[in-house]
Amino acid sequence: MVNAIKGLFISCDIPMAQFIVNLNASMPASERFIVHMLDPTHMFVQPHVAEMIRSKIGEFRDQNSYEKPQ
Amino acid sequence: MAGGDGDRHRGPKRHKSSAPSKAALVDESAEFDYADDFDEDALDADKEVKKRDFTKLELKPDHASRPLWACADGRIFLETFSPLYKQAYDFLIAIAEPVCRPESMHEYNLTPHSLYAAVSVGLETTTIISVLSKLSKTKLPREIIDFIHGSTANYGKVKLVLKKNRYFVESPFPEVLSTLLRDEVISRARISPEDSLSAPSFTISKTSGQTSGHEDLLNGMELAAATEDKETHSFEIDPSQVENVKQRCLPNALNYPMLEEYDFRNDTVNPDLDMELKPQARPRPYQEKSLSKMFGNGRARSGIIVLPCGAGKSLVGVSAACRIKKSCLCLATNAVSVDQWAFQFKLWSTIKDDHISRFTSDNKEKFRGMAGVVVTTYNMVAFGGKRSEDSEKIIEEIRNREWGLLLMDEVHVVPAHMFRKVISITKSHCKLGLTATLVREDERITDLNFLIGPKLYEANWLDLVKGGFIANVQCAEVWCPMTKEFFAEYLKKENSKKKQVLYVMNPNKFRACEFLIRFHEQQRGDKIIVFADNLFALTAYAMKLRKPMIYGATSHAERTRILYQFKNSPEVNTIFLSKVGDNSIDIPEANVIIQISSHAGSRRQEAQRLGRILRAKGKHQDRMAGGKEEYNAFFYSLVSTDTQEMYYSTKRQQFLIDQGYSFKVITSLPPLEEGPNLSFYTLDEQLELLGKVLNAGDDMIGVEHLEEDSDGKALLRARRSAGSMSAFSGAGGRVYMEYNTGKGKGAPKKPKDPSKRHHLFKKRYQ
Repeated sequence: MVNAIKGLFISCDIPMAQFIVNLNASMPASERFIVHMLDPTHMFVQPHVAEMIRSKIGEFRDQNSYEKPQ
Repeated sequence: MAGGDGDRHRGPKRHKSSAPSKAALVDESAEFDYADDFDEDALDADKEVKKRDFTKLELKPDHASRPLWACADGRIFLETFSPLYKQAYDFLIAIAEPVCRPESMHEYNLTPHSLYAAVSVGLETTTIISVLSKLSKTKLPREIIDFIHGSTANYGKVKLVLKKNRYFVESPFPEVLSTLLRDEVISRARISPEDSLSAPSFTISKTSGQTSGHEDLLNGMELAAATEDKETHSFEIDPSQVENVKQRCLPNALNYPMLEEYDFRNDTVNPDLDMELKPQARPRPYQEKSLSKMFGNGRARSGIIVLPCGAGKSLVGVSAACRIKKSCLCLATNAVSVDQWAFQFKLWSTIKDDHISRFTSDNKEKFRGMAGVVVTTYNMVAFGGKRSEDSEKIIEEIRNREWGLLLMDEVHVVPAHMFRKVISITKSHCKLGLTATLVREDERITDLNFLIGPKLYEANWLDLVKGGFIANVQCAEVWCPMTKEFFAEYLKKENSKKKQVLYVMNPNKFRACEFLIRFHEQQRGDKIIVFADNLFALTAYAMKLRKPMIYGATSHAERTRILYQFKNSPEVNTIFLSKVGDNSIDIPEANVIIQISSHAGSRRQEAQRLGRILRAKGKHQDRMAGGKEEYNAFFYSLVSTDTQEMYYSTKRQQFLIDQGYSFKVITSLPPLEEGPNLSFYTLDEQLELLGKVLNAGDDMIGVEHLEEDSDGKALLRARRSAGSMSAFSGAGGRVYMEYNTGKGKGAPKKPKDPSKRHHLFKKRYQ
């Protein structure tokens, strides 16, 4: 019997994949969203988390970039 | 800033010939044909400046041939491609602070301090305004003119004079002195003459030869007043309060900034020192220029000269001492640079060997004769604890002497409180501060304005590069992606303290570093310095790659030995340095820097490190534009991507970017085909490294904390413990065993923190 799940395929670089894994692990068990890690740079996740991941990554990147104060 | 928009105003070629000098601009005849290059683009260039609307500024008809824009908020933009660039630059550097100086457009800022500096080098208010308006493309805004008037009106009215080891505040205007004395700080600092009962009166002396030369500094109106009133009024102030008094007189308080000048030619009280520059010492044009700012009217002014590292600051210092020809106290940051300064004095000047002495914790040379040069460290002078008998005598000598010149190296690094102490201990007629980077992360840099004096000269780095005086450095930021395992640990909350060591020890970074070292050693035969602030990383890298390293705990003898080998042996081409190497260690041979970890976002550190390789190398003609080698020095900063390091790295670069440097980003290091030739290729090796990093104690992975002074107090303290009671009494026996072991553990390695000592013992040790 074949099980089909609707989901989101994410392709990214190694560190960002780790970031998402870490994000996933920090959630309570019921809210974890990674369905399957395909390889270090590809994963399959629940369809509704796209926006959340995007904003978390945006936040993380902002922390690591410097803008010259005017 | 409005970079780049200047290109559009590159005036029609024919203007070049008609305006080769300032003089040509004086006659503002309408012979210029400006129809082809009119207001249109100028106006929209102005609009580009965010939020600041300068559309009202009136453009002069011949704007194309004038080099700069002066805006109402005090900012000035200079086009570096203008034929008048050189003159305009010399002028602007005297009156304004450089903000950002990339290749074709410079930004400057007019501040009260910069105008103070301008007046103190002898420019008059009217000259400043007229020259500025001549150079400006637009009519000078009212605000700027008012601002210049407001900030310069009171300059030169008050003088601080050192006579026979006593400080006097002098002015030809008694009413000005009364104003000053109404200030609480100043009146408290005043020492009333003991014999006089009438306290409010000033000591009046007839103006004689001593102050006559001063009058040409004053502008017309004041000159008239000064000639009518030939008397100089003065009152004495407490030497320990000099700094506070000076601070009160600055523009942001009473606005009577004090002029400090030393008429050394007419100083007959202090004995002359017989020293001249050797004929082979030929100061370069910019060194001459900085000296001319200092000795403008035949007198010596106190102030700061800013030159990039490697541009020959020591020669400027030695020349200044040779010109004043009085006793000179030279302060450096550590024992190594004391040796270097002493060497520089002997190299450039004809000073006799017995007139120069070094005073450090392990080298106490007595000085002989009436006048001489003493080279020492800030710590030795400011040290507050008990000294040995020898050094007590020398310090007493330093304290009692009236120094002609106080030469201070690396003024930006010394904490303000130490400066205060040094300045209160030593009495000098003239102070010269030397530095490469007048920035600090704490905004203490303005303190230097009253502690030493205004900035007299600041060189433009790119001009020196073009002239071939300093090396042309290729700056690169190497992006090293974190490996999967390291990044996973980096993200974990429980590792928040280990973040730094994790991104520094990133195997990809290590491999990039190893690759760069190999490439430069083997392909180019370069000499390489690797900087790491993180001690754990420093040791790990140095051990793995089998290279010598120097850090805070390395002894002076060992340092000298390693540096000697690095300089002379073809075997030793790479050394690892912790932040002890940031300043003053002079390694002229090195031409590559690889930075693997750094002190957060310190712009100064970045610039200082770059300075280690700025000393020009190779033949002069090869370095000039179009020479054989475009770049002859390399500065790599290795950064782990997606970590905090990216933030710090960008911040750190700001100073160099403001000097016009650009950083190239390299993403493909090491090249893939290097594979197993470099360390940490296999996952197992990487995991082993990760294990080591995670198991390292918190105390090992932190940033190195240098003892405030690596040569002064620390050494003395270590010596003290060696002469402990039990050692003297020979009581190594059982009775004292317990006592001994407890003490033995901590004492030699980590001297006790004096602040934690019981207050009863503090006096004894401190």
